[in-house]
Amino acid sequence: MDEMLAVDARGVSKSFGPVPAVVDVTLRVAPGEVYGVLGPNGAGKTTMLRMLFGLIRPDAGSIRLFGRSWDEHGVRTLDGVAGFIESPRFYPYLTGRQNLRGLARLDGGARPGLIEEVLEVVDLADRADRRVGGWSYGMRQRLGVAASLLREPRLLVLDEPANGLDPAGIRDMRALVRRLADGGLTVLLSSHHMDEVEEICDHVTIMSHGRVGFHGSIADLRAMAPDPGHLLRTDDDERALALADDLARERPGLEVSRHDAGLRIVGPEGVATELVAALVRGGVGLRELTPTRTPLEALFFMLTDGASETAPTDDADPALVGARPDGGPRR
Amino acid sequence: MRRILITLALCLAVVGAAGAVATAIGGGSTVTRARLERSLPAAFANRYLAQAELLGRRGLTAASLHPTAMCERGGPDVPDVGAGSDWVCLVGWSDPAVPMPPEGYGKFEVAVHANDCYTVSGPSKLVGFATIEDVRGRTVTNPVAEFDACFDPAGDDTPTGVTYPSVLQPLSTALTVGPDGRTSVQVSCGAGAGGCAGTLTVMDGTRALAEVPYRIEEQATPTLVVPARVPAGAKTVDLVFASTVGVAPPKPVTLPVQ
Amino acid sequence: MTTLPAPTPTVATSPAHGPAGRAAGLGAVLAWEVRKLVAQLRVRVVLLAALVVPVPVALAISAQSQPPKDTLFGRYATTSGWSLALLILGFAGQWALPLLTSIVAGDVFSSEDQHGTWKTVLTRSTGRSTLFWAKVLAATGFAVVVLAVLGAATIASSVLLGGGAPLTGLSGQTIGDGQALVLVAAAWASTLPPLLAFTALAVLISVATRSSAAGIAAPAALGLVMQLVGALGSLQGLRTVLPTTPFEAWHGLLTAPRFTGPLVEGLVVSAVWAAAALAIAYVLVRRRDVTGG
Repeated sequence: MDEMLAVDARGVSKSFGPVPAVVDVTLRVAPGEVYGVLGPNGAGKTTMLRMLFGLIRPDAGSIRLFGRSWDEHGVRTLDGVAGFIESPRFYPYLTGRQNLRGLARLDGGARPGLIEEVLEVVDLADRADRRVGGWSYGMRQRLGVAASLLREPRLLVLDEPANGLDPAGIRDMRALVRRLADGGLTVLLSSHHMDEVEEICDHVTIMSHGRVGFHGSIADLRAMAPDPGHLLRTDDDERALALADDLARERPGLEVSRHDAGLRIVGPEGVATELVAALVRGGVGLRELTPTRTPLEALFFMLTDGASETAPTDDADPALVGARPDGGPRR
Repeated sequence: MRRILITLALCLAVVGAAGAVATAIGGGSTVTRARLERSLPAAFANRYLAQAELLGRRGLTAASLHPTAMCERGGPDVPDVGAGSDWVCLVGWSDPAVPMPPEGYGKFEVAVHANDCYTVSGPSKLVGFATIEDVRGRTVTNPVAEFDACFDPAGDDTPTGVTYPSVLQPLSTALTVGPDGRTSVQVSCGAGAGGCAGTLTVMDGTRALAEVPYRIEEQATPTLVVPARVPAGAKTVDLVFASTVGVAPPKPVTLPVQ
Repeated sequence: MTTLPAPTPTVATSPAHGPAGRAAGLGAVLAWEVRKLVAQLRVRVVLLAALVVPVPVALAISAQSQPPKDTLFGRYATTSGWSLALLILGFAGQWALPLLTSIVAGDVFSSEDQHGTWKTVLTRSTGRSTLFWAKVLAATGFAVVVLAVLGAATIASSVLLGGGAPLTGLSGQTIGDGQALVLVAAAWASTLPPLLAFTALAVLISVATRSSAAGIAAPAALGLVMQLVGALGSLQGLRTVLPTTPFEAWHGLLTAPRFTGPLVEGLVVSAVWAAAALAIAYVLVRRRDVTGG
């Protein structure tokens, strides 16, 4: 069944000189999935995606897209695959339409009317006859999506598609990806925003320092999420701390510590509520209660800061793999 | 920037290496005496005929001119090979209207370039000055005074066998008397085959004062010492050359005594 | 944002065939490269200059009171248009032709670096080999066109604006107008092999440096250096293998009898340079990790 995988990358490594960029990464994406590759900048996401496209040659490991590999099939490996790496780039002295026409030539031609269709999809039809040199970042990003759709792909690879967009642009881009995925497209996207991946992806691989820190479904990831944290500001931190210590004796899992100009609470959701009630009963004035991170964000930071304590397991299963900081970041 | 510098350095290194190999394999110069001696007469004939046409002269052909050349580079110690502006070609030809001097040739100065082309300056005594007046009275460039030509770098390189004799001439304008009473005269032996040899007889009127045998390499300007005192009161002496190699002045040369 | 292009089925039992299952042919990619060249102002300006500049050059040289005698054919440049065209050819071979071809060949690869578009074109259905040869062919085509335009414009303006005296050949022979046209045109055409060698060299420098400035300036500068080295009489061996030497191989066409040895030798030397430069450039393009853009 492996041939049916849209992406089947096994044990892929790449170093640039002495700097390892990607270390023994395995990435498998089934057709129809919306798959996220998550990691902070420099985690090796982009290098990994470039290797999928054949832009970079891996030092070790194998890569197959729909069962095809660069060694055996050359550029035909990209049949049915489209996408862009980092911000999409075009010839500034040509118009958007001319750029698409040229890229269609490099694809061996596009069926009649397709260019108009994809321009409609990304809402650029009325601006396509201006030179790309004068376009905004967001427009180029959308032209990048259009150029990808021109290949009528079955696998769409998008590297940080929302990067550099304003909030409205981000919203549109996410909606577009979601709709494309709903249309049956397999989507592999990279991001350094947990919320983006959480919102649109079914499965995720978290990379850190060139290695895989986690891979599995979003549901699995949620199950592993630590307790949410809150920042608490009161008019009497001393007393609040004492009350919290009392409560912590009864309810294990609650941790309260001093943090900047307030207190930091980490614990199961219900306990924080109980603590607030206890503070109010104890006459402590509450000034602010802010969630510090969402659970997945907290997990993300935990996984990518190299703080994981979980043992590595078989990489075929959703698993946590010790993310060690020895794989230095690229760039 | 580093990438650019490395690339350019590599380019230059490749060129240098290729050149070193080519030089080592034996890239002797294509500029040789024989090639010049074959090329120059043909080019000269063509230019000479062009001049004749400008002057309205008829009856001359390349065959009737039958020019031949002997070329050599620098002095006797310089090999006759390679580009340089110190080539000399002695060219003789036959034109009834322009008799050759006794030595039978005119001396052309030739600058040969590395690309197997050369620039020739002709002797104005025989070919005229840089501009001439044509048959219609206009002042035009003299085609023979200076001209360019090229030869085949792979052309026939066997010796042509053309030789012309050197010309011996006294350079001194007076006979110099040294402190010991002995006299000397500087002569020049021009470019040509074999240099100059013979005997110089210094005459005071009809009396031979001394006989000086000489043997001079071509393109040399030695000073000949006369082993005799010039009688007091002699205002002039005559130098009489009896040449065995090369061409010497056929008539006695009269020099004042200092 | 309205309709989506119909996505192909998500589950396939056999390996997928790409956008319509086609791969781009060399012709299509070449057409795209030519399309990009034509869209560039610089390319159009260069072609226009090759067409127009010979006119003022021919006029300026013809108007000299003293002909430029220290250059081959300079002696008759003010009196014979044919000589003028050959004098300009001599200058062109020294630096103008290497520079003109480098303007495209030295930029055709590095412009992808400049625009960050390597990743754009290499993520389509065109292999690196196809892309490489399409770019090389486009640069070669430009070299041929620019030589043809410059040569034709120079010959036409020299003959029309220069002196009417017949051509004096390099054996001092006088050459009639009909034959002169053939020989002068052939002389210009004979610079194509070294021009293509410089095209390949510019391609290599463009690939290796990833800089258009270096790709355009370096071949012209190298050409000048080689010309200087080649003019040194003491380095005859080096002169033979330089790609600048064949720029003078046409001299043999204008002697009587003609000699073609340098033309053949120049063809071989140019071919070796071009093949070596293209081979290295090809390997570099094939092996390169595209990390930028």
